[in-house]
Amino acid sequence: MSQPAEVSWAVELDNFGKSYPVGWTGGRRPAVQGLSLRLAPGQVLGVLGPNGSGKSTMLKALAGLITPSIGQCRIMGHPAGSVEARAVVGYLPESSRFAPHQTGRGFLHYCAGLSSLPPGKVAARIDAVLLWAGLGAAADRKMDTYSKGMLQRLGLAQALVHEPAVVLLDEPASGLDPEGRLALAKLIRELADQGRAVVFSSHLLAQAGEICDRIAILGRGRLLAEGTRFELLGSTRRPVVEASPIESLYLEKLHG
Amino acid sequence: MAEARSNPFPASLRRVRLIASQTLAEALHLRLAWLLVLAGIMLVLMAQWLRDFNFGASELKFLGDFGLGAIGLMGTALAALAMAHLFFSDLMGATAGCVLTRPVRRWEYLGGKLAGVMALLALYVGSLGLVLACLITMREAQLGAAFQPLPEYLQACGLLWLKLTLVSAMTLLVCSYASSALFASSAGLLLAVVAHLRPFTQASGWLSWLRLWPNLALFDPQSLPAGDNLTVLGLLGLVGYWAVFILLLGGLASYVFKHREI
Repeated sequence: MSQPAEVSWAVELDNFGKSYPVGWTGGRRPAVQGLSLRLAPGQVLGVLGPNGSGKSTMLKALAGLITPSIGQCRIMGHPAGSVEARAVVGYLPESSRFAPHQTGRGFLHYCAGLSSLPPGKVAARIDAVLLWAGLGAAADRKMDTYSKGMLQRLGLAQALVHEPAVVLLDEPASGLDPEGRLALAKLIRELADQGRAVVFSSHLLAQAGEICDRIAILGRGRLLAEGTRFELLGSTRRPVVEASPIESLYLEKLHG
Repeated sequence: MAEARSNPFPASLRRVRLIASQTLAEALHLRLAWLLVLAGIMLVLMAQWLRDFNFGASELKFLGDFGLGAIGLMGTALAALAMAHLFFSDLMGATAGCVLTRPVRRWEYLGGKLAGVMALLALYVGSLGLVLACLITMREAQLGAAFQPLPEYLQACGLLWLKLTLVSAMTLLVCSYASSALFASSAGLLLAVVAHLRPFTQASGWLSWLRLWPNLALFDPQSLPAGDNLTVLGLLGLVGYWAVFILLLGGLASYVFKHREI
């Protein structure tokens, strides 16, 4: 368990490529090719792109669920997938299907128990993330009574329960209502303000454009554009989370 | 991370225990498991009505043979189907992604899954064994005859459990590379059949390579009807044989699963 001498990047992708075998002929189909990215602690990277552009492949490689065919992925200086890297990663998978008979709190206990969180902090952290996720009242209900949005928020809670330094979120806004999406955007900024690096994939271009420090646009497995908001959008405004006019109206009507 | 650096083994065991208890809790909510338990109980109780077809053996011996056979038959199905179902429900849902992106080693995950299914099988053999014991005791009282001392009966149930856990380990090996629960459970059942037929390989030379595969016939509780019990040394040898194959199958599954992409 060697500690790198100096960690300057929270997330690094160096010429990352992933291809999958096709049929029995020995041919391979590339999912991602030549992807190079860097993200510092405290920054938010939004990965945008159509379905099949390689967003989930990239996040899975960073989470250590798949190994690169070429290139390297590193988390806080450690190879992605190593025990050291996984100890500092929080990952939200694309699907939020968990054991339906279990309660939300029980599932978070399970996830926290498998993390490197000190046992004395587990209960307090679970309460904190349940509160953030708005699941405090439903915490002791079985998950088969949860709505899709509640399951998604529980998925987010498990990704954050062990206070990871790097947070990887695959389509985190999927299944969330406008209020939930705003809360998510605020949370992502809060995480960055705490010094955590956040990488998330999204189809919600406008929201991603507002809250990200860096934006990467993927298409057919290739990096089409990458840079800061200023470089790509010409915006010098600090990333902020605020409701759009229609969202403001919606929330006003909903909450009076 | 500090925990992993200073004292990795107890931390590993803690994670295996957590995954095992989660797996057992999921298994106890499986409708399929309850269906097989119910079918097993019905088969054991059917021995009472089928006792006339005893092929000349004593009635109590028939009850014991038939009951243990029924527990073994349904248990084999439970071992293969529950393992495949529990493994793939994690993999196809989000749970495997949440667990394997934490500092959990792949062997710890598989070890926890196997331990959870082993606990389920212990509950299954224990409960159905109890039903069979009650049936035999009732019939003993009605006939005024003694059949089998308790330790030998417990030994027979223990051997049955060892056999069923080997079936679940074989299925786990298939799960480690298979892409569907249907394939994994079918292949697990097929491997269990091959392992039951292992004694026939002694006679035919071209099947001798199958001797590498565990011989499940060794765990058949033949001592129960015959009354000639296994010696302590023989029993320990059998447990050792079981442990070697559990480690081999589990180790092979872990090696394959380590390189699997989720």
